[in-house]
Parts: sequence; C-alpha cells; structure tokens
Amino acid sequence: MTALPTNRDENWRYANLRPLARARADNARADNTRPELGPHDLNLPRSLDGFERWVFCDGRFVAANPSPDSRVQLLDARNAGESFAALLDADLAAAGVDFSLARINAARGDQVVQIEVADDSPALQLELVFVATAPAASGTSYPRAQIVAGRNSRLTVIERHLTAGTGAADADTDSVINAACDVSLRPGAVLEHIRVQCGGARTSHFDTLIANVGENATYRLRTTTLGGLTSRTTAFIKLAGRGARCEFGAAIVANGTQTHDMFVEIDHAAPETSTREIFRGIANDRGKLAFNGKMIVRENAHGADSDQSLRSLLTGAGAEAAARPQLEIYTDKVRAKHGATTGKLDEQMLFYLLSRGIDRPQAQALLQWAFIEDAVSLVPVPALRQEIEQLIAARLNSVNSLGLVDLP
Amino acid sequence: MTTPLLKIENLSATVGGKKVLQGLTLTVNAGEVHAIMGPNGSGKSTLSYVLAGRPGYEITGGRVEFQGKDLLAMEAEERARAGLFLGFQYPVEIPGVNNVYLLKAAMNAKRKAEGKSEVDAYEFLQLVRGKMKLMQMDESFLSRGVNEGFSGGEKKRNEILQMLVLEPTLAVLDETDSGLDIDALKVVARGVKTLQSADRGVLLITHYQRLLDHIVPDQVHVLARGRIARSGGKELAHELERRGYDWVLEVA
Repeated sequence: MTALPTNRDENWRYANLRPLARARADNARADNTRPELGPHDLNLPRSLDGFERWVFCDGRFVAANPSPDSRVQLLDARNAGESFAALLDADLAAAGVDFSLARINAARGDQVVQIEVADDSPALQLELVFVATAPAASGTSYPRAQIVAGRNSRLTVIERHLTAGTGAADADTDSVINAACDVSLRPGAVLEHIRVQCGGARTSHFDTLIANVGENATYRLRTTTLGGLTSRTTAFIKLAGRGARCEFGAAIVANGTQTHDMFVEIDHAAPETSTREIFRGIANDRGKLAFNGKMIVRENAHGADSDQSLRSLLTGAGAEAAARPQLEIYTDKVRAKHGATTGKLDEQMLFYLLSRGIDRPQAQALLQWAFIEDAVSLVPVPALRQEIEQLIAARLNSVNSLGLVDLP
Repeated sequence: MTTPLLKIENLSATVGGKKVLQGLTLTVNAGEVHAIMGPNGSGKSTLSYVLAGRPGYEITGGRVEFQGKDLLAMEAEERARAGLFLGFQYPVEIPGVNNVYLLKAAMNAKRKAEGKSEVDAYEFLQLVRGKMKLMQMDESFLSRGVNEGFSGGEKKRNEILQMLVLEPTLAVLDETDSGLDIDALKVVARGVKTLQSADRGVLLITHYQRLLDHIVPDQVHVLARGRIARSGGKELAHELERRGYDWVLEVA
C-alpha cells in the first residue's frame, strides 16, 4: 500500500496529516452499519440556475438533475484510471510522494464521475456536490472527478465539498476526505473550475488536482477554502501546449485552530504559456495557513509569462501564515513577476475607519473583507459568488452587521 | 454661560519623543469658524490627529473638552460618534471597501450611538445622492473603493461628502484646501458652508489664506512651535499672506 507523505517531505512541511493517518483507510462506503442517505438528508445548498447538479455522498452518487445534453457519466473506478491517464498525458502512477494521496484515492475509491465535453460543443454548466457524512472510524471518503473539455469547448464546473451529519447533533462529524480531480483541456478549450471547500468544523479534507492544458486553452481555477479542522490541496497544472494559460485564484480563511495548506505547481512546458496567480489568505485567532506557489518554466517555454501575487493577513495573536513563491526557470526569454507579503491590518486604514465612528471589530472585519475580496471577485457565477461572500462574511466577525453582502 | 464646543487648555504632546504641541490653548464656541494657520512643522496636523485620537501621539500635558466631556479619554470611534469629524489632509485609499459601505457603516454607527434605528436603505441613498450632487461628484464614486484611484481633488471632495453625511458638531478640516484648483475649492467651500449653523463649529487648518476668502472665519490663529503665537480676526490671514510667517515667529 502507498505510504502517506510526512512533514519531512519537501512539499508537505505545513500540512496537518495526522487525521488522514488516524482515520480508517477503508472506503467509508464499505461500512454497511451506516444508514443509506438520500439527497434530503444532506442539507444541500440552493441549486444554481442553469446548472445541472450531481450529488455524491461519501464519494458515491446519490442524485442528479441532468440536462438533456448532459455529458456526465459515472464510471467504475477500476476502469476509469488508466484510460484517463492517457488523456491527461500525466502519469498518475508516478512514484513521487506528492501523488500518493491520488494513488490511494484511485486504489480505494469505487466510483468516478466523468465529464467529457465534445469538441466545439456549446457552453455547458454543471455542479458537483460532494457531501461527507461518515465518521473517521467508519472509513475515508474517496470522491473523484475527471473532466475533459474538448477542442474549443466552453465548460463551467463547480466542485463543492461539504459535510452533513445524519442528524443535527451529528452535524459536525469528523469525516476524512481524500478527493482527486483530473482535468484535461484540449486546444482552445476554456474551463471555469470553481472549487468551494466548506466542510464542517471537525472535517479533514485532502485533495489532489492534476490538470493538463492544451494549446491556446485557458484554465480558470477559483478556489475557496473555508471549512474543516484541516485541509490540504495539492495541485499540478501543466501548461502543455503553446499559448496555454492558467488563471488561478485562491481565497482562504483559517479561524480558530484551523490549518489550511495549499501546494500549487504550475509547469510552463511550452512557448508563450502564461499564468496569473492570486492568493489571499486570512489567519485569525490561532489559525494557520500555508501557500506554496511553485512555478516551473521549461527550457522550451520561450515567451512564458507568469505573475504571482501572494498575500496573507494575520489578525490573531497566535495566527501563522507562510506564503511562498518558488521559481524554477530554465530559460531567459521569460517574464516572471512575483510578490509575497504577510502582514497585519494597515493601521492608517484602520484609523481612517475608526475616525468615521465605525467600531473597531467592524472596522477590522471590513478591512479583512476588502483584503480577501480581491480573490473572491474572480468567481464568475454571480449567485455562487454571493453565496461565497456570505460564507466568508459569516467567518469574519461582524461583517454581517454592516450589511455588506446585500448592498447593491 | 454656555459650554464651549471645544476647549483646549495648555495641551502638550509628543510624537516619537519629539515635542510637537507645547502648551496650546484654544476655545471654539458653537456657531464659530476658527482658522489655524502656520508654517510647516508648526504642529497643525498633529493638533488635528490628537483631536481625532490617532494612535502614536503621547499627551504630556493639558486637557481637551468637547462639549464639556474629556475628549482625550475617548476612543477615536467614540469621538466621531460624539460629533467630531476630521477631514484628512491625505485621505487613505482603502481598495475593496466601497464608498457606499463606508458611508452607510459610519452613518449607522452614529445612529446606533444616538439610540436610533438603522437608516432605511432607500432614504440613505436619496440622502447621499443629494449630498453628492452638491459636491459635484458622479454617482459612480459610490461603488468605487474608498478614495481608490481618486485624484487629489476628488479625495478632498469625498472628505467633505462624508462630513455632510455625518453632520458633525465640530469639523476639523486639515488642509482640505491644499492641492485644489479654484473650482474645486469653491465646491469644497460650499460644502462647508452648507454644514455651518448656530450649533456647529468648524476648525479650518490651512497653510494659505485663499480658502478664507470663501469661508470667512470668526478668528484666525497662528500656530508656531506647538502653541498659538497670535490670534486675530480675518484680517490677520491677509496680513500673513502679505508678510509671511516670519514676523509672527519673531514676535513669539
């Protein structure tokens, strides 16, 4: 069986891996003593207009409202992996420790949701909702999605990760999730991939994302990480074709004793590839967050252009943040811009707000809001963006009382 | 005798260990406009920040009463809610916080302190639109970040807009006139005059006399070396404009 990474591994220094090691590694679905849950047991968020929705519980399909031209199918995990590895031009069985969670997912998971959009097909919008319900003692959830955006296709995929207990008292179950997502963009495709991780307070969420972006294709990935006791995202995005582009935005809030860790490698492996990366993280209380943004520019990637803006805000006495750009550049003919800052709230801005009579906690919340809004504003689906804003507002002390979210 | 709006007695303050205010005494009564003039480094901005409660200033002596209450014992936000407004010389840019959010939050904070309910959203917008028209500001400013990318003149107008929305009892305007062209100066002056009333006071801190052509002060004070070196009527401003500050400093 594949060994788990440890904090001694280079890209895993900040991750909290204990819950994963401690949880039962068997697929939570195999525990027959737990009741079967239907969509009504899962406290699903409001559905979004124009999106078909697919709902999964502990990694297995429970319900959907597919559109007539749905391109979604459910595959047996045993058959899904190899065919997709070929599509992806990525070796999922790579021996590296960075892929070990994805390998475990492939070995333990039993179902894969595959979205395959044909070449030149009209725009399609869909939402995958993964709900975790099983306690760690029952096993681990292994959701997996595979997305293929055909030539010149337009696709929007919302990927949500939530937690729901079987009853109110059980709402904060200590579920452990090891999710995986494989993405392939054919030449000229545009994929909007919006991920929202909003698990319950005791959830531990791990995921691995592997993406391959073809010639002149654009991959827009927007992630919001809010929930859980701990989370770790590992992403490998390869800009494989000439002119491939990645636009990446991450908004993360670590409250209480939450730990969020994100490793994102973007590999510029062809000429004129480009990246725009924005990370905005807030660590409150004793929250910890880490973002490691690695950019590789290969020898042949002439004219590559990467831009990283990584900013974290510390607002708690015991809060920690580590946002690091990491560049590996093997050619001269590139533009690589990167900035990383970790700081506290700007005293001058704070005083300006106080001098207008606004309470200190409200003023602080307003500035935190402004800080993270940079990344949230990138979410292209207005109804979802508003929902994310509400989720964030609920986590930033007293933003709600300012009525920010409902203003025109 | 009525309580003065603002009574500063023998106020001394240091910033970073440096003495900036050294025994400043000044009284502003309701209905009055006072101008404070003085050379650079005389302590004008320090006075405005000390009154507004900015951190980083140590009060080493004296006291300040605002409507009979100990102003220096109040937090910055309490001072604002009690009716003191500072118009900043260099208004801060706050990207991501919309002007309309700031105005609404500030207005509701004040209403809450006065025991009133939150302002109705429709009434609020009507009110703000009216004031913006007066300040010749485009409505698009509402949805822009606070002072974000504003020109110098736009920032100053925005300060006066906030003042008009909050309707303070005492407005301390720190070099609101600096960097304004003559048209903008007139707009700003009109805003200030709109606020003037028998129960309000204005403290204009300025380097130049020209604002005082539009807002006529009841008293003019020259601040030098951290204290009032000379006080007089509006004609003192003209004299300063003609003769500069040196003669006051020599006399002081």
